[in-house]
Amino acid sequence: MSEITLSELEKQYGETTAVEDVSVEINDGELLCLLGPSGSGKSTTLRMIAGLETPTDGEISIGEDDVTDRPAYERNTSTVFQDWALFPHKSVLENVAFGLKMRDVPAEEREERARAMLERVQMGSYDDEDPTNLSGGQKQRVALARSLAVNPDVLLLDEPLSNLDKRLREDMQIELREIHEDLEETFVHVTHDQDEAFTLADRIGIMADGNLVQVGSPNEVYENPKNRFIEGFLGDTNFIDGEVDRVTAETVHVETELGREIVLPTDEEPDIDEGAELTLSLRPEILSIDQPVSAQSDGGQTVLADGSTTNAVIGTVENVLYRGSTVRYSVSSNGTTMFVERTGASTDALTAGDDIRIDWNGADVLAFRADGTRVSL
Amino acid sequence: MTSNLHRETFEDVAFRAGYLALLVFMLLPLLVVIVTSFSGSGRIAFPPDSFSLVWYGEFFESIRWLNAFTNSLIVGFGTALAATVLGVMGAFGQEIEDGSFGKLLAPLVLIPLLIPPVILGITLLMYFNEVGLRGSYASIVLAHTLWATPLVYFVMRSVFSRFDWQQLDAAHDLGAGPIRSFVQVVLPNVKHGIFVGALLAFIISLQEFVMALFLSTPNTETIPVLAWTEIRQALDPMVSVVSTFLILISVGAIVVAVIATNLEWLSKQLS
Amino acid sequence: MSERNSVLPSSLASAWEPIADQSRSNRALLLMAPLIVFELLVFVVPFFILLRISFAEESSDLVYAEGTWTLQAYVDVFTSGLLRSIVGYSFMLGIAVTLVTVVIAIFYAYAIWRSDGLIKSLLLFSVVLPLLTTLVIRTYAFQPLLSPTGTVNEILLSLGIINSSIQIVPSTVGVVIGQTYIVLPYAVLAIYSVMATMDWHVVEAARDLGASRPRSVLEVVVPQVMPGIIVASVISFAWSVGAYAAPDLLSNSISFAMQVEDLMLSGLRYPLAAAFSVVMLVLMLVCIGVLFAVLNRFGGDFELA
Repeated sequence: MSEITLSELEKQYGETTAVEDVSVEINDGELLCLLGPSGSGKSTTLRMIAGLETPTDGEISIGEDDVTDRPAYERNTSTVFQDWALFPHKSVLENVAFGLKMRDVPAEEREERARAMLERVQMGSYDDEDPTNLSGGQKQRVALARSLAVNPDVLLLDEPLSNLDKRLREDMQIELREIHEDLEETFVHVTHDQDEAFTLADRIGIMADGNLVQVGSPNEVYENPKNRFIEGFLGDTNFIDGEVDRVTAETVHVETELGREIVLPTDEEPDIDEGAELTLSLRPEILSIDQPVSAQSDGGQTVLADGSTTNAVIGTVENVLYRGSTVRYSVSSNGTTMFVERTGASTDALTAGDDIRIDWNGADVLAFRADGTRVSL
Repeated sequence: MTSNLHRETFEDVAFRAGYLALLVFMLLPLLVVIVTSFSGSGRIAFPPDSFSLVWYGEFFESIRWLNAFTNSLIVGFGTALAATVLGVMGAFGQEIEDGSFGKLLAPLVLIPLLIPPVILGITLLMYFNEVGLRGSYASIVLAHTLWATPLVYFVMRSVFSRFDWQQLDAAHDLGAGPIRSFVQVVLPNVKHGIFVGALLAFIISLQEFVMALFLSTPNTETIPVLAWTEIRQALDPMVSVVSTFLILISVGAIVVAVIATNLEWLSKQLS
Repeated sequence: MSERNSVLPSSLASAWEPIADQSRSNRALLLMAPLIVFELLVFVVPFFILLRISFAEESSDLVYAEGTWTLQAYVDVFTSGLLRSIVGYSFMLGIAVTLVTVVIAIFYAYAIWRSDGLIKSLLLFSVVLPLLTTLVIRTYAFQPLLSPTGTVNEILLSLGIINSSIQIVPSTVGVVIGQTYIVLPYAVLAIYSVMATMDWHVVEAARDLGASRPRSVLEVVVPQVMPGIIVASVISFAWSVGAYAAPDLLSNSISFAMQVEDLMLSGLRYPLAAAFSVVMLVLMLVCIGVLFAVLNRFGGDFELA
């Protein structure tokens, strides 16, 4: 069994704290993505699991064993590095066989196993190549084969795809996913790319400022972000500032910088006071656009039959940005700029200067307090 | 678990002890030199039996030492000038176009550094006898230039190779002539390199002794040569006084070089 | 363009004239010419003269007889038992110093590479400072340290580690210590300059795959810094075989350099000195060639016994 338990892991470099407090249990056979911006401590956490850094405080165990003080070469973990770190003076085959050599596997057997592993990552014909002559994608495959050749309990991936171009990166994500499903080993994958995390992960751990902020399935994390940082990090969204005007049993009324009151339906009375400052997140996917039907229909909100509310604002298209399959419009409303998206297939393209109406369902709006925490509605 | 921890700790301690011992090994002889220069007696012992400044007084009264000092400076400046002109021009020419001559140049310039100075010394002694340069300052300057030029040359190669030559094209494009663009665009970027190269050449010459021993006469003998002659006769603290001055000059040179560039860069260039 | 050029001092401009007119490659050649001429006149030609003198007859009133051709000097070199033993001693010294130096230099370069901040500066300083200090100073300082009445012996005696003082200087061990001190800075810098360009992740990858710390250095660092090790070995070897100051001051043995100085300056036997130098140079080149070939083989993957 190779589940990993991190408890109260901390790492300091002199005065700076790279990892403040990370506790998580990673299940056997799980693929966990540590996702966060650079400097959030995700790579340091991974390196502590690998044994390449010694924690300042806290414990790491893999399976039954406490490995906190065990050096990297005595842990059965294997790391794929961001720059792949292939041994430049050894051939591709020697690279892949290196871990087996360190485990004193006889020369013939390790060559055989290394070849098999190269075949598996479709690099079988490159065994004699000098790794410095390979392309990024090929190096990545060799690095992966090298790490897998030792049959690790845990495979650690430190942004191995970040140096590849977009197309290759997407192919490799799928391949990694397949390899993981094949091997049923525990993988910990570090990335700063949300799309990659959503594609690969069984669970995502989001890190910020040395802390593990939220751990959950991709769906859970996306639908229920714990705080404003995660909401902003997981995708582009419109943050609208406002102030709570009135709280009732069913609704929260927020006076916003859009110049309109936005109404949020609630199930129970939320933990928020009147007059408190709130930030609302209006994700582009909940916004729909229409050309204004008439001059009267100038926004506001309507309570629908099922008790949910729709809200709408009127704005002027300022900019049109074609992004391949989607078109992004920046829209100015009451001096605040928001963006909305439509798929490219939509009819009657809008141009700058058009007046439009933006609608959304109040139940889809997420609200965050001034300290970043989420208001459960 | 603890055994692992112990081994790691042991390795760490051994590693640290190892390089600190080497640090002492590297600096101790120089410390011996400086400390013994303040010796009160005529015998070099470390640590000295008593301390005084008498040997410094002796130094400033010795015409022979002061002459050697002047000779060292003359040869040093001559070498710095010759090596810098040759090295900078050569490296610049090679940067412009690395033709077949250029490929021959690097090994040709480098080889003298790898030949034992004794062999260079006797070779040059025989040669200067033939061409009638024996006993001149020029003979020592030329010999030292043979050693100093590779350093200037390789420092400048690395400086020029890091220079973005598109800047020069841009300068031409904006209407600057060849000299003007060199002075305005290239020079500001490489002047630190030239300075460090010249400084290295000067120090090399100041310290070199085997070739100087063969090529100098009592009139042109440099400080290391005189120090050597003295040491072979009697080991008295005067040598330490002179050596301390030489060490101080070197330290001063490093400080100047560090101000002009930085230490790590310098040490990379030195090799 | 010409108008702009006229802004320059006219002497500078006129000096540039002949160069500016040349094509790019001619201009490059003109710039390289002084250096090439210098190397030819002060390095290549002198060696041909050395070679020529080694084939000349000795002369009683002049240092050698001009215009004569003979192999006598070479015959003397190969038949003299003294010279042969000196050759043997010099090469033994060269090999011993090279081995000690390269091992220490790899370790010290690694320590510099892995340290940072003040320690790194201090370690670099300790390498650069001796490099900039004359070999005379570097050598004689070992006398008060290592002689039978010197500092090291006194410390060892007072600590009770030894009962009677040991003679490190003068002895061959003393020469090896002194000569190692002379070449070590060059060796460290040669290796460090290559190591500094290395990617630390590669060492981490080796440890991660199960290599212990010493083994990761041997498997990954050493092969990668092999160019630096080769330069360090060649410098250490060539300079130690030709060592002059250290054997003279720190031992009673005679090295090649001391003998050749004696032949030249005291004996005035130019042809013999020249032939001896030529023979040593050829032997050294052969050794360096072998060294190069052997070390190059270790540049790739290698098996531990």
